[in-house]
Amino acid sequence: MKRSIPALVSVVAVAGVLVLLPFIISDYNTFLVGEVGIYFIAVLGLNILTGYTGQISIGHGAFMAIGGYTLAILSRDHQMNLVYGTLIAFALCFAAGLAFGLLALRLSGAYLALATFALAISVTQLPLQYSTYLGGSLGVQASSKTDHLFGWSLFGVHIPRWSLPGPAVLTNKWIFGVAWSFAAVLLVLAWLILRGRVGRAFRAVRDSEIAAVASGVERGLYKTLAFGISAAYCGAAGAIFVMANNGFAQPDEFNVALSLTLLIGAAVAGLGSLWGVLVGAAFVGLLPNISTSIPHLGGHQDVIYGAAVIVVMLVAPSGFAGLLARLRLLRRA
Amino acid sequence: MSINRKRLGALLCVVVAAIAVASTAGAASQSTPGVTAHNVKIGGTFPLSGPASLYATIAGAEQAYYGWVNAHGGVNGRTITDIVKDDQYNPAKTVPAVKHLVETDKVFAIVGSLGTAPGLATWNYLNNKKVPQVLLASGDAYWGTCTATGSAFRAKPYCSKPKPWTMGWQPDYPGEAKIYAKYILANKPHAKIGILYQNDAYGQNYLDAFTKALGSHKSQIVDKESYNYTDSSSVVGAHVGALAAHGADTVVFFSTPAASIAALATIPHVPSWHPLTVLNNVSANRIFLLSAEQNGAAPNGVISSSYIKSNTVTPNDSAMKLAHDIIYATGNGTLKHEFDIGDSNLIYGLASAWTFVDALKHAGSNPTRTSLMHALRTLNESSSNKNPFVYPGMTVKTSSSRTFPMEQLILEKWSGSAHDWKSFGGVKTSGS
Repeated sequence: MKRSIPALVSVVAVAGVLVLLPFIISDYNTFLVGEVGIYFIAVLGLNILTGYTGQISIGHGAFMAIGGYTLAILSRDHQMNLVYGTLIAFALCFAAGLAFGLLALRLSGAYLALATFALAISVTQLPLQYSTYLGGSLGVQASSKTDHLFGWSLFGVHIPRWSLPGPAVLTNKWIFGVAWSFAAVLLVLAWLILRGRVGRAFRAVRDSEIAAVASGVERGLYKTLAFGISAAYCGAAGAIFVMANNGFAQPDEFNVALSLTLLIGAAVAGLGSLWGVLVGAAFVGLLPNISTSIPHLGGHQDVIYGAAVIVVMLVAPSGFAGLLARLRLLRRA
Repeated sequence: MSINRKRLGALLCVVVAAIAVASTAGAASQSTPGVTAHNVKIGGTFPLSGPASLYATIAGAEQAYYGWVNAHGGVNGRTITDIVKDDQYNPAKTVPAVKHLVETDKVFAIVGSLGTAPGLATWNYLNNKKVPQVLLASGDAYWGTCTATGSAFRAKPYCSKPKPWTMGWQPDYPGEAKIYAKYILANKPHAKIGILYQNDAYGQNYLDAFTKALGSHKSQIVDKESYNYTDSSSVVGAHVGALAAHGADTVVFFSTPAASIAALATIPHVPSWHPLTVLNNVSANRIFLLSAEQNGAAPNGVISSSYIKSNTVTPNDSAMKLAHDIIYATGNGTLKHEFDIGDSNLIYGLASAWTFVDALKHAGSNPTRTSLMHALRTLNESSSNKNPFVYPGMTVKTSSSRTFPMEQLILEKWSGSAHDWKSFGGVKTSGS
């Protein structure tokens, strides 16, 4: 119990910094930190799957695609408010994750990883196959008429409108606000899920399936549930990701590299640490943008990114979480 | 644990202070962003890495041209700085890159960015900010139909309002398809036509215009085969085989380079099949045809079209000698090699950059974003102000009702013995 007080203090401190951040840093950097928020949600989701139930996915970009397209299509065809669209993306991806999780029950380890990889590749083919409804390679543009539910003031603060009257776009502060608001809510939700019975069952399945089943844990139920939860998180992240792309959903945005980016984020984060997820999200969200800003690098910024990943894996093979644990051990010694 | 908390507090203070310093650093304000007394700063996004990176040479040629202009005194006493950012042809990377160019680099305009989807992902943003998004390297019809103002604007599902800050440069795909249809009807009136097209809006854009231009002769289409962008060459080859099986004696490829090479290489494998082959301009870069020949294709007699000069076909043309000097002045080995083997992307980049410099000259001694757009909407690169890199007899020209700067094409035929294109039949109008 004693340990949870400083933890609470640091969470509040980070939340405070995040609330103040858009008023301190430049508008462009606000956008980048907003993108970190998007990766935070997705990596958190992946961490629930990999860190808590030991199932490996290299295809969670597919759920981001489903979430992102859900948002764009609901907005395009039904002028749906973007926040509601994100909630529906969350729910839909929960269902999609449960369905895939059922199939995944028969697979484990490398076989599961390959199946999720196939999922990542095949989902982005759907818009090309059904291009009349899903926009093909030209993508789906969210409607610019979705302002009618958010054109109001709250305590004197004007909530930015999606569009009025010209072809306006989502502002950087709006992206930041939506991303980190969802991140905060989903973080609390994750904490509530993982702290109790469900979290214990998840960890039991991860550590030994046989022992878990022998103790009366419904192995299939919990493995599938973890898949559903992680997919739902990635779905919400995908919806906000599309908002950050000026409301434009397109297959190339959700390529295999995105799934690998999430995996790198989870690897840098390490397992089971909240701080790790924050560091992992910042790593994958900021590093590519910083490396493109290095002049005279031409098309080699992926090399910088790759080298950074290698260095991190050498220094902290079990991610930031593992690094923290090692430092704690050192201090005690 | 109290030490921990103190440390955390100190760390947070440092972070906040560092951020505050960083954010106030670059806060200089100007009347027109990116324009100073001695410099104009522009930017663009290109796939410098990844599968579409062969287009990176366009950016290289544009930077080479601006370097050459700078070495010769600049434009109205200003040098041009062109910041090129890599988006890997991924709209999710284009958005941060363009935001960085506009909000942090504070460029005057986004010039020459490559690709349809990257353009679509950023045109709402740029029009909202009133930042010129001009000379887009994409031939989709949007860059003409949506960007017109006044009565010339036609609302489409993807553009309910005009995008006055956006403009393309090259001829549009539907206009090009129309020219092929006319050619086939005139030269092979009883052709049995087979079409291979990419299964997306790009291929559909071509296919619809081609079918419409055939008019009552559209019944001569014996087969339409669609492939997906990510299909392997063997899948594309199977589709070409299907065209042969349907009895086509004329084939039209509305495809992208990799699939086009595979399609051309398949034809000789079908016994005693020698169809008249039409290849779209996107796939007709000389380097792709050379690659197809290496892969077993016999493209002698293939028909395509062009709108720029070729330094391998007319190396003694004064503009091509100039192009040689500009590219070689960069000292960039890759660009020099691409120039020597006739990569048409280089001449494309030079021609497009020439138009930007032309517009900048006409945007006044103190250019603003508005005056640049006005100059781009009243382009007239004729007589003494001729773009030297476009095909002889073609004019880069815009007006309030004509928003496509290029609306002319010339047909060309591949010579298997010269390993190069040979134009024929005079300049044709592609505009609708």
